Order: sequence, then C-alpha cells, then structure tokens
Amino acid sequence: MAQYADIVEIVAPGDAAVGSRVDITVRIKNKYSSTIGIMVGGALEYGVSPWPGISFSESSANVTGGATHSFSGYFNMPDKRITIHAYSYYYGSDGSWHFDDEMTRTVDLAEEIESEFGSIAIISYQRR
Amino acid sequence: MGAVYLPSQFGFVLVPLANVQVKPGDKLRITCQYSHIGQADGQPLYAAIGNEGWAGFDEVLHGSKTINVPEDATWNYHEEYVDIAITTAISAGFYDLYAKIGGTFPKVISPSLLDVVEVLAEIPESEFGEISITDYAKV
Repeated sequence: MAQYADIVEIVAPGDAAVGSRVDITVRIKNKYSSTIGIMVGGALEYGVSPWPGISFSESSANVTGGATHSFSGYFNMPDKRITIHAYSYYYGSDGSWHFDDEMTRTVDLAEEIESEFGSIAIISYQRR
Repeated sequence: MGAVYLPSQFGFVLVPLANVQVKPGDKLRITCQYSHIGQADGQPLYAAIGNEGWAGFDEVLHGSKTINVPEDATWNYHEEYVDIAITTAISAGFYDLYAKIGGTFPKVISPSLLDVVEVLAEIPESEFGEISITDYAKV
C-alpha cells in the first residue's frame, strides 16, 4: 500500500512483436494533501540479470495533492514474454527519494505469422 | 479473349481481357493482383509468354523482378507489374500468359490466359526495289 505515490495503472499492450517498440504509461497518484515530488522507475523481468530498465521521457514531476500524473516510457520487446515492474518514489522533507509503491504487468510475445501468398491473377497487360 | 476472376465487394467478378499486339522491340507490361498475409517478404514476381499445353506451360519469353511485400496482419490484396521484353526469339503468332510469385518452388501460380498476346511479324528494314518515271510535264 502506497504512502504517497500510489501507482494507479500501467498502460501497455497485451502483446508485442519481438524487436518492436513498446510504449507504456505509468499513472501515479499523489495521495498527499499538497504538492510533492514523485519519481517513476521501471524494469523488465524476463530471465536476464540485471533486469533491463525502461526509458522514461520524464522520470520525475511535481504533482499537486490528489492529482494523478502520467509518465510515458518505452522499451524494445525481447524475444520472450516480459513482466513490467513499475516503481514509485516520493521526495521527502529529508531531501531524499523514498521508495513507495510497485506494480507489475505482463506483455506477451505476439505470434508472428509467416509470410504466405494466397492467390495471383493477371489483371491487365499492355504494350509499352 | 482472356478473362480473369477478381475479388470485389460483390464477391468475384469476371473481368474480360482484350488481346494485345506486340512486336520485337516492344515491352509487355503485365500487372498482377495477389493476396498476402504475414511478415514482410521479398519474392520474385515472374511472368512468361508461351504456350499452355498438356505438359505444362512452354515458355518462350519471360520477365521477373523482386517485389517487396509489406507486413499484412490480415489477408490483403496488392498489385504489382513486371515487364517482358519482346525479342526476335519469339515468332509471329498468338501466345498465352501466366505469372507466378516465388523462385524454383513457386508460392502461387496464376491461371493461364490463352491466346491473349499476338506477336506481329517483324517489319523488314527500309529497302527500295525499283524506280521508273511515270510522267513528265512543263511547270
């Protein structure tokens, strides 16, 4: 249970093709009554160590009390099903970032259909 | 006259195709419609002029080029053309056409269109045979 920086949702596709860019959004709510600094972090779990990180265009923001902020990030889909781990931190009065909340979401590997041709027909021919 | 069935919003329609006359030095552009699904692909598009027979298609002239097919999440129709250079290797007469995608082992082969190409005899070089005076008058 988050103290201040509550991860409300991870928005991500259910599946993605290997090598494709996967855009995600982590929505974090400030549960505090006034503005605080909130930071997002993220990593991918799929059997490699250390877990690769997720790139966020903006990793921290000052969020007004009660508001929800959306942090946009992306990663390239590996050749396995992955679990997104998103983390939230709040900026304390002691001048340090404090870990607060975590949420996970899985993205399956999209099945790629082999190239297949169904039919061909000559539809016109002309002298050039 | 040849004809081909093409998909339309009403199902398949029969599109009649007129004959075409060519002579050595011309190119015959053959436009094909094909369906595809799946990953992007690069394959040869091949078309030939010849004669359809009981033992298959006896090719006389052909043309080919590589086509780059985009990724298709569902079955999609695409159009592409290939040119066949008409040379003196083919003699005058009526010929058939067919097209295929793929190399040695084709992915798809079109139905043959019968007697749709008429190859005309090559027009001989300019030549003068004789001359005679047919009239003379004061002007």
